[in-house]
Amino acid sequence: MDGVAQLQKQLVDYTASLFQEGFLDEQFNQLQQLQDESNPDFVVEVVSLFFEDSERLLNELAKALELKTIDFRKVDAHVHQFKGSSSSIGAQRVQKVCIAFRNYCEEQNIEGCLKCLQQVKHEYSLVKSKLETLFKIEKQLIAAGGSIPT
Amino acid sequence: MELHPDFADTQQKQKQHFHVLAVDDSLIERKLLERLLTESSCKVTCVDSGDKALEYLSLLDSQEIEYSTDLSSSPPSAQQEAGYMKVNLIMTDYSMPGMSGYDLLKRVKMQGSSWKDIPVVVMSSENVPSRISMCMEEGAEEFLLKPLQLSDLKKLQPHLLKSLVHPTEDISTSNDHGSDNNMMHDITTLNDSDNVLVSERKVMSPEPLERRPKINGLLVV
Repeated sequence: MDGVAQLQKQLVDYTASLFQEGFLDEQFNQLQQLQDESNPDFVVEVVSLFFEDSERLLNELAKALELKTIDFRKVDAHVHQFKGSSSSIGAQRVQKVCIAFRNYCEEQNIEGCLKCLQQVKHEYSLVKSKLETLFKIEKQLIAAGGSIPT
Repeated sequence: MELHPDFADTQQKQKQHFHVLAVDDSLIERKLLERLLTESSCKVTCVDSGDKALEYLSLLDSQEIEYSTDLSSSPPSAQQEAGYMKVNLIMTDYSMPGMSGYDLLKRVKMQGSSWKDIPVVVMSSENVPSRISMCMEEGAEEFLLKPLQLSDLKKLQPHLLKSLVHPTEDISTSNDHGSDNNMMHDITTLNDSDNVLVSERKVMSPEPLERRPKINGLLVV
């Protein structure tokens, strides 16, 4: 198998594993479908926005949950945003934790919220590193003269 | 592919793109929506709040007045531009800080509003039946669940076409029962094969941004 074919296979297999393990869902496919010759970096652009936004939200959440008197509505508002953005890019596991997180906010359960914060941080860092790996393989493929299989 | 003669004629005469005003406080959502809409051959203006949406609509109104006073002596391009500016559809997120999508909907559809006839579509990540019926009762054309997909944009065709069609033509607003109107049928056929509203529009270069009115900080993508 030549270099390009090998990288293509690597890309296809890696992407499939991310779906199988639930890191990504159908919405990520939708993003890929929106990428074309006139919008060649669409997926990377949207995902980069997601990374920036997520880091901001995680900071806000950490601060909000450190306060003596926790404003659960504010915490919930941040989680709602996080749930929305993760759902928009297909980051399924992050989205699932956000759903549980919102329930704890509704119950005003501090322990539950703190637990979810840790969980969402963990899931976020996992999906971030997976996506970065994915983009790296894509870059290698393109550098080798190949094209991303649709 | 075959275009119904009336539709092709409309396109020729008006030479405009569907102009959608997208309202969402999330940058990621705006980027996604903009891409979905341009993929469906629409022109998009994105704003990050209901207030900015109203500001933009007011600005367009004042510009159209400017244009219309000189329209008789203006070159055809200026006339086209005035038509081009007009918003054919508003798509708004439901949950936004400050003015919600529901508040915006109410304001647009209010008695005496000059924007009453602009179709409004509300989007939300939450499937709350009471919320949906509230919006529909207030005059929303559709309520779409996020995350939006290309297939959702198909649902918007009839609403966009409403604003392009000649006053004498009657377009059924409810497409669910199947339409007797030939034009609607042809558009649906076109779309099923190509997944775009009007495929030949894709080869046209995008309108220069200068043509669109700008307020400092208003055009947020």
